[in-house]
Amino acid sequence: MAADVHSKGVTWDTPNGNLAPVEHLPNSRSESPTPGLVEGTEPGAGQERAMFVHTQSFEDLTADVELTGSRPSETEEVEEKEQQREGEGGGGADTVDEPRQDVQAIVREKEEDVTSETWRSHKKHVFVLSEAGKPIYTRYGSEEALSTTMGVMMALVSFVEADKNVILSIHADGFRVVFLRKSPLVLVCVSRSGQSDGELWRELHYVYYQILSLLTLPQLQRVFQQRQSFDLRRLLAGSERVTAGLLRLLETDAGLMLNATMSLPLCSTTRNIVCTSLQAASSKNLVFSILLAGNRLVALIRKKEQHLHHTDLHLLSNLASSSSSFRQGEGWTPVCLPKFNASGFFHAHISYLEPSSDLCLMLVSTDREDFFNLSDCKQRFLERLKKRNAYQALKEALHSPTYPVSQVGIPELWHFVYKSKSSGLYTSPELPVPYRTEEEQERLMELYQYLHSRLHHPTRPLRSIYRCTNTENLLAWSTSGFELYLCFSPLATKALAMSAVTKLLKWIRKEEDRLFILNSLTY
Amino acid sequence: MSTKKAPMSDNEVKNGTSRNMLERCASVNEYFDISFKVMLLGDSAVGKTCVLVRFKDGAFLGGNFIATVGIDFRNKVVTVDNMKVKLQIWDTAGQERFRSVTHAYYRDAQALLLLYDITRKSSFDNIRAWLTEIHEYAQKDVVIMLLGNKSDMAAERVIKPEEGQKLAKEYGVPFMETSAKTGVNVELAFLAIARQLKHRAAEQPHEPKFQIHDYIESQKQKSNCCGALM
Repeated sequence: MAADVHSKGVTWDTPNGNLAPVEHLPNSRSESPTPGLVEGTEPGAGQERAMFVHTQSFEDLTADVELTGSRPSETEEVEEKEQQREGEGGGGADTVDEPRQDVQAIVREKEEDVTSETWRSHKKHVFVLSEAGKPIYTRYGSEEALSTTMGVMMALVSFVEADKNVILSIHADGFRVVFLRKSPLVLVCVSRSGQSDGELWRELHYVYYQILSLLTLPQLQRVFQQRQSFDLRRLLAGSERVTAGLLRLLETDAGLMLNATMSLPLCSTTRNIVCTSLQAASSKNLVFSILLAGNRLVALIRKKEQHLHHTDLHLLSNLASSSSSFRQGEGWTPVCLPKFNASGFFHAHISYLEPSSDLCLMLVSTDREDFFNLSDCKQRFLERLKKRNAYQALKEALHSPTYPVSQVGIPELWHFVYKSKSSGLYTSPELPVPYRTEEEQERLMELYQYLHSRLHHPTRPLRSIYRCTNTENLLAWSTSGFELYLCFSPLATKALAMSAVTKLLKWIRKEEDRLFILNSLTY
Repeated sequence: MSTKKAPMSDNEVKNGTSRNMLERCASVNEYFDISFKVMLLGDSAVGKTCVLVRFKDGAFLGGNFIATVGIDFRNKVVTVDNMKVKLQIWDTAGQERFRSVTHAYYRDAQALLLLYDITRKSSFDNIRAWLTEIHEYAQKDVVIMLLGNKSDMAAERVIKPEEGQKLAKEYGVPFMETSAKTGVNVELAFLAIARQLKHRAAEQPHEPKFQIHDYIESQKQKSNCCGALM
């Protein structure tokens, strides 16, 4: 265990062999962006280099599931106008039983009777089992009670594999049963949320990476090589809250769908001070210094030539928010960043700048004995922040972690999500009144997920899609530079939507200093 | 850290400067004369974090079990004979997958609080395995104390106090039952440790050796007078 990843010359995980984009000169940034934007010049694009590894949203799917099909055809442009999708209307009422992120709910979920109607009526179940058919994780109910169900799932997988084939999904009776085979694990999602297979695979991948982040791939393989019937729950004990938190995040956070991170809106002077202070508080074995406010990124400093993957960042931020103990003291834990390197552990120092504040600092090191060094780094960072009077400004920025959509000045625009592809960051205003309730928020997320899955369809991808429903009009648009999802009032027209895009892009360009992190600093 | 360490001069303390690595993570605004590292060990869900929170904040983390991730580090300064003693407390995760992380920090610890849950036999049975591990990884002269936690849960008790006492005797370590919920003996456990470590650090040749067993017994009786059960 705890193989130090850094010293052993392991190959870094570079999913598409493209770590950093070419450098762009600041003067190539266009003043009034047009739809013909190329990557690196869109609003929010980093000025120097990207902080994150670049990814296609569906790289996992195309790489792992071997879906056959042509790569995106760039010219297809489809306008769509359709009625409410079947079954969509009933979706809202079923979300009442959805879990909240507190322990009480998780305890209750675990004790739920798996033969009951409530158990059946959950919108999305997630199961993890071993290749021996042994239960490892279930989102609702207890694993023991589900051993026969999971046995059946494994039987289905094996039956199809006996014919040298792979079971991907079953569609029946409004349900989708999606299988993900990641030897030595099998992950299954049973959903009636209306999400596409691709979206569900993405979520299962997240659960898989979550497990890897606790164990590393070699350790996972080793325990099952030694004993096929190993009960993996022994090694995963205590992580239920983390997984439950992740599943919840997948339903509410657009960042996990977009493979992007939202940054905390911050005036550029404060951001610069925060970044340079964090940069100065370095230590020999530090690889990443990450400052988060909730799930929003405030600053990220990395080692030269090393890039963080969004998946890893989301896993880290979920880990921090799933345990309350970091608030009081300083946490020190091994963590595997599966997209960076699935075969080794990093060691993370996790602490809040103040117990009552939302600012969480994560220092990721390669040395398992580095606790005191990193604790020292944190003190130095904090002292420097205070000395340069940025701490107060930073705390004030936390009071307004978001902004109303009215700032853009388009009355019909209710909400939007804008992702800058080259920086891997996205921005989105606060949810307006119609979407404040939990179920409405989830419904909007599902609409965005639907648009996202159409834009990224493995065989017939779209460049843009316009969709009218009874309650809102939606437009999604993907260029090589950005991805944009807009939600308009149902009274808006397509022409208005198109002109709104230009106006919005101009606004984002104007505000990009505040909304995005434009400089990517290294130690 | 050297176990025979004279108390630092006032000057050194005020500046917070010390060449000793351990004191580098000192909480900036608390002065102390001497500091020690204490580690909480034991199976998952025996109440390590709860005992720590009871000692540090005087509160009880009610109801829900939240697993500690890795190691959690907190400080508390206590006063022993007019001397400020800083306890740097490592709260560890009981889960198997964190074992190797905790091993790495055993050898730095000067005292270990080893906990079991009086309502769960397996946690008591594992104490021997824990002690074996401690002897393998910890410093030779580490101060160990055995704690049977959750003493308030009388109805669910499966391990009698005598069993804990017997095991502790076998290994020559002090023992007491604690309750993070009611606070019984929690402070005493930490203070006894602090006292023992302080005496050892400031030991003068002519002074009698500090007897942690006797100290605990005398203090325990005191709390009995106040109506507590243990």
